[in-house]
Amino acid sequence: MNKQIRRLAAGLLVCFLILFVQLNRLQVVQRDSIASNTNNNRAVLRDFDKPRGAIVTADGVEIANSVASTDDKFKYQRVYPTKDLFANVSGYYTYAFGATKLEKKYTEVLTGRTSEQQIRSLANILSNEDNTGSVQLTMRADLQQVAKDALGEREGSVVVLDPRTGAVLAMYSYPSYDPNVVAVHNNTDAQNALEFLNNYPGKPTLANAYQERYMPGSTFKVVTTGIALEAGLIDFDSFWANESEYLPPDTTNPIANYKGHVCGGDLREVFRRSCNTPFARIAVELGPQAMVAGTQAWGIGEKIPFDIPGAVASNFGTVEELQNNIPRLAIRGFGQDDDLMVPLQMAMITSTVANGGVMMQPYAVEATLDHNGGILDQTKPSPWKTPLSQANALKLTELMIGVVQNGTAKCCLQLANGVQAAAKTGTAQLNATGEPQRSHAWITAFAPAEAPRFAVAVILKGTTADISEGTGGVLAGPIAKTVLDFAMTLPTS
Amino acid sequence: MHPLSRRRTELGLVIMAATITSAAYVLASLGKNSTIPPIIVPFFCILLGLLLVAHIATRILARGADSTLLPLAAMLHGIGFVMITRLDDHLAALQTTWSFIAIAAYVATLLVVQRTPDLARYKWTFFVLGAGLLLIPLVPGLGRSVGGARIWVNIGPIRFQPGEFAKILLALFFAGYLYERRELISAGTWKVGPLRLPQPRHLLPLVAAWAFAVVVMVGQKDLGSSLLFFTLFVVMVWVATERATFLVFGLVLFGGAAYAAFRLFTHVQTRVDIWLDPWSRYQESGYQIVQGLFAIGDGGLGGTGLGQGRPGLVPAVSTDFIFAGIAEELGLFGATAVLMSFLLIVGAGLRIAIRAERPFEKLLATGLTTLIGVQAFIIIGGVIRVVPLTGITLPFVSYGGSSLVSNYILLALLMRVSDSTSRRIGELPDDPTINERFAAWKLRRSIRRAERLEAKATGKTTSKTTGKRTPA
Repeated sequence: MNKQIRRLAAGLLVCFLILFVQLNRLQVVQRDSIASNTNNNRAVLRDFDKPRGAIVTADGVEIANSVASTDDKFKYQRVYPTKDLFANVSGYYTYAFGATKLEKKYTEVLTGRTSEQQIRSLANILSNEDNTGSVQLTMRADLQQVAKDALGEREGSVVVLDPRTGAVLAMYSYPSYDPNVVAVHNNTDAQNALEFLNNYPGKPTLANAYQERYMPGSTFKVVTTGIALEAGLIDFDSFWANESEYLPPDTTNPIANYKGHVCGGDLREVFRRSCNTPFARIAVELGPQAMVAGTQAWGIGEKIPFDIPGAVASNFGTVEELQNNIPRLAIRGFGQDDDLMVPLQMAMITSTVANGGVMMQPYAVEATLDHNGGILDQTKPSPWKTPLSQANALKLTELMIGVVQNGTAKCCLQLANGVQAAAKTGTAQLNATGEPQRSHAWITAFAPAEAPRFAVAVILKGTTADISEGTGGVLAGPIAKTVLDFAMTLPTS
Repeated sequence: MHPLSRRRTELGLVIMAATITSAAYVLASLGKNSTIPPIIVPFFCILLGLLLVAHIATRILARGADSTLLPLAAMLHGIGFVMITRLDDHLAALQTTWSFIAIAAYVATLLVVQRTPDLARYKWTFFVLGAGLLLIPLVPGLGRSVGGARIWVNIGPIRFQPGEFAKILLALFFAGYLYERRELISAGTWKVGPLRLPQPRHLLPLVAAWAFAVVVMVGQKDLGSSLLFFTLFVVMVWVATERATFLVFGLVLFGGAAYAAFRLFTHVQTRVDIWLDPWSRYQESGYQIVQGLFAIGDGGLGGTGLGQGRPGLVPAVSTDFIFAGIAEELGLFGATAVLMSFLLIVGAGLRIAIRAERPFEKLLATGLTTLIGVQAFIIIGGVIRVVPLTGITLPFVSYGGSSLVSNYILLALLMRVSDSTSRRIGELPDDPTINERFAAWKLRRSIRRAERLEAKATGKTTSKTTGKRTPA
């Protein structure tokens, strides 16, 4: 029997060797492919058991951070102390529904997984210290709060930029939402919250400021004027005769000025009063090719190179689309029809005028920091487009000062302490047939006019009847004034 | 090795097992809650105390037995216990109770079974008991189905898996039956064509016993156990008869049975399908095994560290899938240590079988060792996708009272065989056992009583001779 028992021993040894080999295959050879299986959420789970760094505003307010969790599903709970104020900047970080916005883009930094952080934390690999990084914003919580309060419960958006760098100082959209309700660990609750938000009118999870685009109305005349100045087509001495309407070629449908007013004069006059017909004529005179190329020089039609993911592109149109449809080119020349502007882009356009013709790349993240506060990566301001010469930028500044001193923004943009602002208003008529006339109210401005530090774009969506009554200056102007007045009290940087 | 130095070795190894377990317990708590468990000192004391009870019982009752079996079982038991504590406080409390009962069962078995030949005499009793235990779950009102298999029995508040005990009883039966008839069976006087088969009357009870067990288990859908019994049967017949024909015959029979089961039962087909490709069945039947593989893969070489993985994601991780949890948190190193422990138990068990002189003891040791080795292989292999998964516990490691108690009983029987052999080959004096001493004392007492009665009858004579002891 001993022979059989020895063979049995050998047989069982072979069995266990097979187990050992298979274990090696699973834990060493196939380890990475198992880890990358689509159903394998263990990496995500690990992240939820580790702290995650904070996202902090320029004035030191945490807009996202991790705290010890009170449930036992995960060790940490992601919290958003500023609630809806920065929802469209931070985004959310959830277990079941992934992450959005900065939470998504900077997840490696926030969890301490970048190779730079790994190397820097090698020294304390044995200590319990975490190596999570943090994200430092250019945005200020105080200015953001002012923008939010000024906008109130009206659908729209406020964007404040530093025209010299492209740094976003404030950017608030209404409706917003509280990311805390989505970041709960209970998947059903999170899903219900997300479904509610996705079905909510005005789409709170989409940032109006950079993920939506709206007809710009007369604010677009800044671009048309800029293109025409650059092309040498117009200058301060250009003159347009008084008229109440203009009939572009190939149509019987004339273009009228606001409320059919008779409007005309030199460039300063027509810009200040925001006549429509001169800018329609300019667009037609420039022609589809020059207009499309000109708008492209302003970055229109191109996805905005913003560091918060998800920014969309503004639209003017294509040569093919417009060359056989000159009337629409004429209308788009003063910001109607399919002319669509991202509010952030409008702030960038104003910034370009304020910055001597150079359009800076917009950014909301000043720097990423390691767990000791050491800088991992600092954003260097960089130019994106140069659609204007410095001389023409100064001419446009003068035109926009005229709007504030004696034009459509006279009512509403006289800043405190005599600070001179430069602006352009806009009322985009949403002439949907059969519906009550509605308009988006716009204003875009910068201050101080002589040494610009702040550029702002405000849009109030044409969703309520009271907006249709007014023009951009009356409704959006006070918001811009409140924001700029507060901004002027901030320490100079 | 001298038997007494064997016990010293065992003591050292048992203390080591207790220390490693306590250290693992601290690490698991640190990993999970970043705190040193407040009860670590009592934990270590109770654990060590429990193992010392088993060790001292062995010293008294089986001092010639193998020195490594108890420490190896204690080590596996400890690793399993730490995993269970780390997974579920409630289960840990229950497992603590079961640990006490298991050690008590170990001591009781050593106490009750002092002479192995006694066991051979009761083979039919074991068979009836074993068969009865296997049948209980099918009794309406007592049996409970858990996870598709009807292998549980509820008696009042107590719930147990009778199959875990039946396996030992059937091994005892096979050993007893085969040791008696092995020559008759292997002789093969019944000629069928070119084949020489044993007389049907020698083989039939055996095959019937086996078929009975298999049919019951297929009826209960407990594939793991039926595979275990089948292997036990084939191995024991092969070793007993020393004829490879039986091994081949057994394998053919197994192949046929497996194929028939595959064709007949959809749950067997499902198991095979999952085994071949669990990934595409993640959403339904493959979920458990895929989660297990995720856990094992996550462990890598060194593991996530105790208390720092997420074994809780794997269904049944405290019972059938505990190996996945160990592989995740202790990595390839820890999982290999578990494999090595089982291999060493198998080695020690089969060494006991080879050393044993009586065929019954050889067969019993072989059978019991096969049970542990094959059971470990079936469930580990199932978890890591070497064989189709069949639900069965990992001996000593998994949570579960029936499993723990029955495996400690199994261990005690192996120790008994080992001790018996070292007495038989003269390493130790073959002292009378406690039972025998008791019997001798009873005998002497009755002699004294008889003498006293006799003296009464014959009148008062020398009372001194009655106190004289007669050699036992």
